[in-house]
Amino acid sequence: MTWGLEDASVVFGSRTALDHLTLPVEPSTVSICVGGDGAGKSTLLRAIVGLVRLSSGAARRPQKKDIGYIPATAGLYIDLTVDENVAFCAGAYGVRGRELTCRSTEMLERIGLADARTRLGGQLSGGMQRKLAVGMALLHRPAMLVLDEPTTGVDPVSRAELWRLISGAAAEGSAVVVATTYVDEAHRASTVVLLEQGRSIAVGSPSDIIAAVPGTLGVVESTEQPQGLSWRRGKTWRVWAPSLDLPPGAESLQPDFEDAVMIAALADEQKIEIDGCAC
Amino acid sequence: MVALAETRHVTMRFGSFTAVDSVNLKVGGGEVVGLLGANGAGKTTVIRLLLGLVRPSKGEVALFGAPPSMRTRRRMGYVPQTLGLYDDLTVQENWTFTESAFGSTRVALPPSIRDARDRLVGTLPLGLQRRVAFAVAFSHQPELLVLDEPTSGVGSLSRARLWQDIRDCAEHGTGVLVTTHNMEEAEQCDRLVVMAGGRVVAEGTAAEVIADRHVVEARCDSWQEAFSVLDAEGLIVQVEGDVLRVPASPEHVQRVLARHHLRGAVATVPANLEEAFVSIVSAGAAR
Amino acid sequence: MWTMIVKEFRQLKRDRRTLALLIVLPVLLLVVFGYAARFDVSKVTTIVVGPQAEAVAGHLHAPFDLVEIDPNGGRSLAESRLQDGTAVVGVVTGQTQIVALMDGTQLFAVEAAESAIDHMAQAAKANGAAVPAITVQILYNPNLTTSWIMIPGLTGLILLFIGTLITSLGIVRERQTGTIEQLAVMPFRPWDVIFGKIVPYLLLAALDLIAIVVIGMVLFGVPFVGNVATFALGALLFLLVTLGMGVLVSTVSQNQGQSIQLAIMFVVPQILLSGLIFPVSSMASGVQWIAYVLPLKYFIDISRGVMLKATPLTALWGPLVVLAGMAIVVLGLAVLRFRRDLAPSARRGRTAEADSKAVAA
Repeated sequence: MTWGLEDASVVFGSRTALDHLTLPVEPSTVSICVGGDGAGKSTLLRAIVGLVRLSSGAARRPQKKDIGYIPATAGLYIDLTVDENVAFCAGAYGVRGRELTCRSTEMLERIGLADARTRLGGQLSGGMQRKLAVGMALLHRPAMLVLDEPTTGVDPVSRAELWRLISGAAAEGSAVVVATTYVDEAHRASTVVLLEQGRSIAVGSPSDIIAAVPGTLGVVESTEQPQGLSWRRGKTWRVWAPSLDLPPGAESLQPDFEDAVMIAALADEQKIEIDGCAC
Repeated sequence: MVALAETRHVTMRFGSFTAVDSVNLKVGGGEVVGLLGANGAGKTTVIRLLLGLVRPSKGEVALFGAPPSMRTRRRMGYVPQTLGLYDDLTVQENWTFTESAFGSTRVALPPSIRDARDRLVGTLPLGLQRRVAFAVAFSHQPELLVLDEPTSGVGSLSRARLWQDIRDCAEHGTGVLVTTHNMEEAEQCDRLVVMAGGRVVAEGTAAEVIADRHVVEARCDSWQEAFSVLDAEGLIVQVEGDVLRVPASPEHVQRVLARHHLRGAVATVPANLEEAFVSIVSAGAAR
Repeated sequence: MWTMIVKEFRQLKRDRRTLALLIVLPVLLLVVFGYAARFDVSKVTTIVVGPQAEAVAGHLHAPFDLVEIDPNGGRSLAESRLQDGTAVVGVVTGQTQIVALMDGTQLFAVEAAESAIDHMAQAAKANGAAVPAITVQILYNPNLTTSWIMIPGLTGLILLFIGTLITSLGIVRERQTGTIEQLAVMPFRPWDVIFGKIVPYLLLAALDLIAIVVIGMVLFGVPFVGNVATFALGALLFLLVTLGMGVLVSTVSQNQGQSIQLAIMFVVPQILLSGLIFPVSSMASGVQWIAYVLPLKYFIDISRGVMLKATPLTALWGPLVVLAGMAIVVLGLAVLRFRRDLAPSARRGRTAEADSKAVAA
């Protein structure tokens, strides 16, 4: 494991934000951490970059000058212009002279901001702000790129362009780790970790996770809720049986990634309930 | 099917900027309609037109058959992206506030949120907050629900439960209009309306929107190298693990790979909803 | 509408900072206007020198508060006492006329002393007794011009605003937008960030200070008779205290609204109770101690002393030392707290920082 977390835990008082989590972050790959709000995604990323102290376990990271990090809420200064933002970032990481002019011009053109260099950060659209933030984080060719929910709230076109930048970073050798709430983005990764309340409930490549799905998945065409653990997909119901027996009316189905994520979360929830009862 | 909410050739201009251009939108009882579009595509303006917060420059907006008014507002429920709840009040206090504001009779808290009645909304996890916001919007039994990005930021289980609530409403006859950026969520809707540049550029089920669009899947020895060369061509390449998806013809992809002495297997596969969306919107922008 | 009222009350009862303001502010104003806001002076510190010191002192009753009687001392002793603030009135005997030197920077004390001397003369005349003639000489501010007193105090007020209020706003803005997190991960040392944030405000405050002093001198004729270096030292120390306070406020505030509320609670008492407007000596003894914990009081002593009385450094070491002590404590605390935000995981043994590999281009 080049970088990442090894059996890492983060405890705030009585609350365990991260529970014995292992996530390798390797160069030239994209690792994605998926979970809902409060699952611990931000804590995981902050543990990797060193913003949070580990209560146990280990974290490996390159030196600060080789990391690019964008927290969920920010990435740029809204009261500075595009040029001024780039200047600040470049100055902080020591990117100067011709290399700076070259890379920043190329980056701004790619993003579509070449004609908007004097516009204030706050005047850019949400998607544009994110693209600029990611572009700036890549100026100094970081060995490790850490992005916290880079595409949340961003429109689908900007999202595709953002992923183009992110994949490009991995193609050039960076080790990329991204946190997201969008399950459909997790396909893009070579390693996915599903996070639920600080715990990893599944880890591996997307196909590994699908293959590791326990029990059987079924689909029910009617609008009535079937017996057992079920959830809606459009007008139909999906039902999951931990054993091999599906309830009547259900047809067996091969799970896709979204199904696999649901099942992992359900399995985790069920396990918790069982543990809770055993008191 | 009676349209609960309808816009007919509605246009909205702010000075010289046309936010909405001749949009026809219909939401009927019992169906879940998804409004999909880039930021600035006009989604928010359409919502504001339906809510009666602005009046159209041209065209008509009908809510339950008549132009939006205070009376028709009472028959609809709206959950904005910011939820419209007070963080520093408890769930019960928020509920009571909305009840008296709408003048509805005392309704008990639904079971899904009853356990959290005395907790401050600001202390609840986001998934639960969203369920509370939804329940509050539905407390006065509206016939039409407008939800702005209802499951944004929420985990899988909470998302599923929220959509269960939404489907239950629809099955009781409520019409639901949802705006979203999330493809997974878009696929939960019965019908999609795709907007770009203020216009409706596609309509129908997810499958109909995708139509017969295809992308090329390329599997190469080193996806990183293949990505770099294809990206340099200006193609918006998406990566899935170590498989590349390229919105171009297979011949084009083969040519580029060959030029850089890279070997790979290319195959044509159907596009997914996101790729279809990007292609529709880019085509619309190019017009 | 009733619904709205109920909701507002419910929200208010949970908003602790607003509640604090609602309670603290009236209490503060009560204290100020009840006990502190007095212009009448009941005690005027006085030194009597010269051969007839003992005799003359005997005639001086309230409001004169005899702190020193020195028959061997002369006018220069009396003047130096006035200059370092130990006495407000210096009565010099031994010449043909008894001269009462008065410290013109203490407006109300001087007025009280003058009127007391007048009464003494009247009373003596009424009784037919012989009273030595007393000539009054007002030093440093002969015309008792109010602006001459206010403007040195104003310089302190400016430093207070910029140092505390504006600095805290600037830092909290970063916390609000989340960019502080990013700074912590960038290759900055915590000191870079802290000083990088404070130095611009320090420079701005210094510029403002110079501007106010110059305008005061040019427009209002306020004199600047003392040592510029002493003034600068006092200003620097005071500024460090206020800046430290600003950083401290920012570390306990999550947004700009909160930091304004806290900063106000720190600034307003100083405006009212530090001697800027109401003399400290007039404050009721029960509340006088408050002035002694307020940094502005010490800076006003320094700025009025240097600008108007040419008080030397040696006489001002008291306020300077107090300010230095406050600066060390407040700034130290502020920096410690701020560092926590910027370098939470700077501990050995927990993490392994591998050498970075050059990224293959």
